[in-house]
Amino acid sequence: MMAHPSAASPRAVSSLPSTVTFPVKRDLRMPRPGILRSAPRSATLAVLAGTAAIGLALTGCTSAAPTGDSATPVAGGTLTYASGDAEPTCLDPHVGGNYPQALVSGQFLESLVSLNSDGEVIPWLADSWTVSDDGLTWEFTLKDGVTFTDGTPLDAAAVQANIAHLQDPATGSSTGYLALAKVTGTEAVSDSVVRLTLAQPDSALLESLSQPWLAIESPTALERSQDENCAAPVGTGPFIVDSWVKQNAITLVRNDDYTSPPADAEHEGPAYLDSITWRFIPDSASRYAALQAGEVDVIDNAQPDTISQAEASDTIVHLDAPRPGASNRIELNSGKAPFNDAAVREAFIRSANVDDAVATLFQGSAERSYSALSSVEPLGISRPDLFDYDPDAAAALLDEAGWSEKDSDGYRVKDGVRLTVVFPVSTNQSIPAEQSLFEQIQATAKETGFDVQLTKLDLSSWYTALGSNAYDAVSAPYTKVGPDVLRILFDSAGITPAPSGYFANHAQLNDPELDSLLAQANATNDADTRAALYADAQDIVLEGFYILPLYDQQNHFLLSSAVEGARAMPTVSTPAFYDAWLTS
Amino acid sequence: MSELEIQVAAGVDTAGGAKTAGRGRVSVVEVIAALLAALLITAAIAPGLLAPGDPLAIDPLAAFGAPSWTHWFGTDESGRDIYTRVVDGAHDSLLIGLTATVIGLGLGAILGVIAGTLGAAVDFTVNRFLEVLFAFPGLLLALLFILVFGPGPGSAIVAVGLSTAPGYARIIRAQLIRVRSSAFVEAATVQGLSRRRILTRHILPNTLAPLLVLGTLGVGQAIVWAAALSYLGLGAQPPAAEWGAMLSAGRTYITSAWWMSFFPGLFIVLTAVCATALGRSIERRMRHA
Amino acid sequence: MADQLTRARLGGLGRRLAGAVFVLWAVATVTFFAVRLIPGDPAEAILGGPGSQTSAEALAAVRAEYGLDQPLSLQYLHQLGRLATGDLGRSYALNMDVGPLVLSQLGGTLVLALLSLTVAWLIALLLATWSTGRGRLARQIGSGLEIVAAALPHFWLATTLIVVFSIWWGVLPPISTADARGLVLPVVTLAIPLAGFLGQVMRESLTAALESPFVLSARARGESERGVLWRHALRHAALPAIGLSGWAFGSLISGAVVVETIFARPGLGRTLLNAVTVRDVPVVIGVVMIVALVYILMTVLTDLASRLADPRPMSTGTGAGA
Repeated sequence: MMAHPSAASPRAVSSLPSTVTFPVKRDLRMPRPGILRSAPRSATLAVLAGTAAIGLALTGCTSAAPTGDSATPVAGGTLTYASGDAEPTCLDPHVGGNYPQALVSGQFLESLVSLNSDGEVIPWLADSWTVSDDGLTWEFTLKDGVTFTDGTPLDAAAVQANIAHLQDPATGSSTGYLALAKVTGTEAVSDSVVRLTLAQPDSALLESLSQPWLAIESPTALERSQDENCAAPVGTGPFIVDSWVKQNAITLVRNDDYTSPPADAEHEGPAYLDSITWRFIPDSASRYAALQAGEVDVIDNAQPDTISQAEASDTIVHLDAPRPGASNRIELNSGKAPFNDAAVREAFIRSANVDDAVATLFQGSAERSYSALSSVEPLGISRPDLFDYDPDAAAALLDEAGWSEKDSDGYRVKDGVRLTVVFPVSTNQSIPAEQSLFEQIQATAKETGFDVQLTKLDLSSWYTALGSNAYDAVSAPYTKVGPDVLRILFDSAGITPAPSGYFANHAQLNDPELDSLLAQANATNDADTRAALYADAQDIVLEGFYILPLYDQQNHFLLSSAVEGARAMPTVSTPAFYDAWLTS
Repeated sequence: MSELEIQVAAGVDTAGGAKTAGRGRVSVVEVIAALLAALLITAAIAPGLLAPGDPLAIDPLAAFGAPSWTHWFGTDESGRDIYTRVVDGAHDSLLIGLTATVIGLGLGAILGVIAGTLGAAVDFTVNRFLEVLFAFPGLLLALLFILVFGPGPGSAIVAVGLSTAPGYARIIRAQLIRVRSSAFVEAATVQGLSRRRILTRHILPNTLAPLLVLGTLGVGQAIVWAAALSYLGLGAQPPAAEWGAMLSAGRTYITSAWWMSFFPGLFIVLTAVCATALGRSIERRMRHA
Repeated sequence: MADQLTRARLGGLGRRLAGAVFVLWAVATVTFFAVRLIPGDPAEAILGGPGSQTSAEALAAVRAEYGLDQPLSLQYLHQLGRLATGDLGRSYALNMDVGPLVLSQLGGTLVLALLSLTVAWLIALLLATWSTGRGRLARQIGSGLEIVAAALPHFWLATTLIVVFSIWWGVLPPISTADARGLVLPVVTLAIPLAGFLGQVMRESLTAALESPFVLSARARGESERGVLWRHALRHAALPAIGLSGWAFGSLISGAVVVETIFARPGLGRTLLNAVTVRDVPVVIGVVMIVALVYILMTVLTDLASRLADPRPMSTGTGAGA
């Protein structure tokens, strides 16, 4: 029941001239030094780390950094993964499309393309692709000789069936459906070439196709009932769904006929592991304790204090993989008072001391972000100049905006109305450290005169509060590959709720200039133009003080040092165990 | 609550000095309990006397500080002084505990008296009603209530009160039946007193007399209940310094900052122990009086 | 005479049965309306949870299929009808029939609850018998331990036990495993506070029983202190505790919600919590009904046990509920 936003970036993206695109030079794979945080923490943690080592089944590892270079992969063994995210209701990521589904479906389903660690699109199930000059026709040439695990061959018809499945309202896809919004038709040019026809150019199409929610499943399997397909989707991946005992665990077994690793994989042929047991442990303390005790091999949603403990330990390794898409940010509802006044928004942002809070609560596992986008996004821009903690400036802004009076409790009032900020917090999506961060923002904003009212709600109640416009500030994660996420979050069309009540533009930003920039950026396939347009768009968002960026979406994995070769996919930072093996 | 109180209400002597504490002799335990209660009540009414600082004042750079001379109970993840918050939290926690107990007792007493005095048919109906309430897991009842009416101390109070009411109702009803068939009521009937007078003069006072004892015993439980709700995120809202919320928040850091959960937990236990000890000593006094 | 007794017994049985049916009906009704009162759209819950960006057609289709566009009272009657035929419906969120789902989770929780009840009984019994009749200090220690135990919140106790036994000493797993080792900590977590309650009850009635006339006469007959304790007093002492066990079971289910979540143990408690969070009405109703059924069964069992253990002749029960 908890879907945590999680990730950290080791370095903030700095601002560059908008004509230059720069790759993200960070290797998300493991075990390469550079990812491993070996900065020592306090003495008490060292004691605990020592105890943890005693508790763990000792694997004989004595070095601080696991050395993958000398070890040879060994086949065999079962890896146990414990997720802190909610158990998916359907293993088919076409249905719905959220992060918990992506975590597990990434083990047995594959997409047409992938991304490498530099953010470039690389071949996966599609060997190559072309796009017409007007951007309305895409052709994908599929890899030869790939079959789904039920024997159906991967061909153009299969891809067509998948796109049809995603676009079919009966499937109930949200993420995939939106991503393919501009695709009007598909055609099987030959057995291995499939053509997509678009109504308008879509520069985000490749990035969308790299996501797990648009994975390619066996068309034979798709013809089954949705319940059957939800229980065990059939794909081309290195593992196969063997069984799913609900509310307990999912068992995945190796696909011995595997032939389709992405272009940046470490080896070819079947995976090394015999099987993976996928468990769900919602309590973060238990999850970490299970890892320490050796009951599980890999955990996700690691909390900041356990990360520092793990880094000081010899037997647990930290894999830091920020999710792409938007950064973790607080969005201010500009659709109603008091935040319909830009000065008040700026005042609120300047009155919140975020840097100190992030530093102490996240203990170095998260870096402050000054961008609307994740630091893994090459086209993101960062504006630290806009987000200084400056209570005096905040006070001055409020005075000018007419909020110069204060009531007996010290909160500002104007025409008898108190300066209140209603801030619903989802306990399922905000980890305890983040909830404490909001409490600290509440405390510092209070000094300037804001009455921040935090309410902790469960997921459903939280969505209800958002849907009924009963919020002034909110923090909602959004994971998506590529800068097109800006359009989803800040285009004025995002204010209109979907029939379910959900809407993505929580800042209720309604700026025609921004809309036009985002539409143009989405339509152009020229890299430089695209980068420039997105940079301008981000400037509008940041300079309008519609959001208060906090940090990257935190996504920390902790692994037993017995696990070698595991990595996080550069696409949406889900764990990949194709190249993984167990050393003990 | 529980039928444990049947025994208490029935006047069974309890640990703590059945043979030694007679009328008016005060045991060490009682003195300590009374002092503790006084401190807690002071903390609830006038926290400033015991802890002059601001329970909400954050100091991020002093976060996760171990207990020291400047911070007796250490600091939490936002650098707030835990001692000040615990003292301040007495207000929230005791308020929830006491009010929830009062609601539970009140509702329970009404139901129990109705069941015991208005005849067999009413008795049967009320008993079924109580069984329905009993059949619900208490936490679920509280959960549903809070989800419908929103989180916060008010909802927590009513939710806990509702969950505990059926237990009290059963006890009151049992006590009423026992009193009704006791010797002196028989005597009063023989003497020719009207039913009404017997009810108001004899039955009700003797039935409701144990309420005080029940209440003190229940306060501790109500506070523990409220703490469980805080674990589920449905109790007091931040930044309120309520013990259950502090205990729940501190659980995340239990291996690195044990003091964050130790002290709120200690006070929850102390309050429950103190309330129970007081309840028993009151009950003993009442019986000997 | 035997005829009358049988008729009385049958009549009692019939009343019991009617009472049980009433309770089940009331439980289903309250749950149905309570969950529907919670803000949140059931159609959304069916289509993959809150926040899903589903289309209008999909929502409309689901509403029609599940009858959610009908007035609430009509939906309630349909639900009742289904329940009466034993059809617990289909989970909105889990794509499973509720019946099999609940039954698969029931075993785990029952094992947990029964084991915890047993262990709590043992601890309470031992503590009560050890600390009674040995003087004031023993009594105070015993009483003190029980009061403290009863005041420990489950979630705090669970975490502390994990820290001590799993992280520091590494002797027990911190989460539930397939074998018995994974049961130890969850059972102990539930048993300790319950033992506190039961112990207090037992001790008081034990003390009272030790001072009662029949015990005095047993002593006068020359029976040893221990013999008196075990053979006479204990039966009386156990009575109220047996009566409490029905209530204890209900409180164990509450505790199971927390314990199953912390120890990642499959069971009804965790299922219930998840279902309430995503507004999965059929599962909530299903779980609550099963719990109510088991509770009713437990009540019957404890009533029988009380009557069996009660050495007093022709006792009609001292008002432990009709």
